[in-house]
Amino acid sequence: MVEIFLAFLGSICPGVIYNVEKRNLMWVGFGGMLGWITYRTFNEITKSLVLASFLGAVIVGIYSESVARLLKAPATIFSVPGIIPLVPGIAAYSTIQHVAENQLYEAASKGIETMSGAGAIAFGILLASAVFRLTKKLKKRGPNPS
Amino acid sequence: MRVNGMKTNQVIEVALKAGEILLTGGAEIYRVEDTVTRICGSYNVRAECFVLPTGIFITVIDSEGNPVSIIRRIRKRTVNLEQVEKVNSFSRSLKDRTLSYQEAMAGLKDIAALDGYGYVLKLIVAGIAPFVYALLFRGTVLEACVSFLIGIVIYAIKEKITQAGVFEFFEYFASGVAAGALSTLAIKLFPFMDLYRIIIASIIILLPGLAITNAMKDALYGDIVSSMFRLTEAVFVAAAVGVGVAIALSVGLRWI
Repeated sequence: MVEIFLAFLGSICPGVIYNVEKRNLMWVGFGGMLGWITYRTFNEITKSLVLASFLGAVIVGIYSESVARLLKAPATIFSVPGIIPLVPGIAAYSTIQHVAENQLYEAASKGIETMSGAGAIAFGILLASAVFRLTKKLKKRGPNPS
Repeated sequence: MRVNGMKTNQVIEVALKAGEILLTGGAEIYRVEDTVTRICGSYNVRAECFVLPTGIFITVIDSEGNPVSIIRRIRKRTVNLEQVEKVNSFSRSLKDRTLSYQEAMAGLKDIAALDGYGYVLKLIVAGIAPFVYALLFRGTVLEACVSFLIGIVIYAIKEKITQAGVFEFFEYFASGVAAGALSTLAIKLFPFMDLYRIIIASIIILLPGLAITNAMKDALYGDIVSSMFRLTEAVFVAAAVGVGVAIALSVGLRWI
């Protein structure tokens, strides 16, 4: 429970740094919170960083696109701070530490883990936006063109 | 033909100003192109627009049939999502009610003048973020407090260097060095703390979240050039921070 609240704060803070407006900040926080809950749940179940990050990012993406439509604001506002809690920080740090200690094989393995985590986040966001764009296009083409 | 007595070149000027604010505020490419075309469209001017992260190109045909074209070079890239949102709703409002040239420019100038939250508040938030993340990574309260202080110092350093304008990405390198050095120092003072938690937590505000998100969105809309640009930007930022931390760590852990 405390962790969920921390994830909430953890997206609001980058939101302030990125100058998100005050009335949108709360929504930013919920996005990060949902993403973190998804990430943590699937990380426990599957023990896979890539899958958990991907699903977390998909949830953040879907959330951002839907809230963006509700509040008539660009989706970026919600997705950019929302993915910050998902970033593979520990893997990234281990890479750097191994480099600093000149253990290059370990660094390479951790580096690939970091990059896959980051890539999974990126493609999660991509997938969510793609689905929303597709539904928008289908609606435009819809059966009863006015 | 003309709406509100706006001349073609005035329409371009308004559209260009809106595009410029969007691009410097960190909007995606398709949004900038869309906004420029939409603003021109609401004044019955047909425009062709091409946007790169470093510049905006607009060409329209004026009432005599001559092509008019403007290029604006963009050098400044900040993150200000408030401006992005405001310009977005501004351009949508033009569809219902077109403004005169003076009104539109005044509106855009107001948006451009928004500089978001105050420096002190951002500084404090730049400390709270590492505090929160240190706890989120299951750290102790003491670790969180140390991260809080380091976060504030890093943000102050980053902002100072950005203002001085040394090189792009240099501020990230310097912040990384500072994060590594201060964390090592903290470990030497309180040996029972975990180094990795403090470092990850304190560099969280340096992460290139916007660059990665925009790279993906741009790729999705087929703006591959901008997507590459953003992706490279993200890699450079991450590498600059990483190398900075690595240098500070290898010096700090071995010789001190």
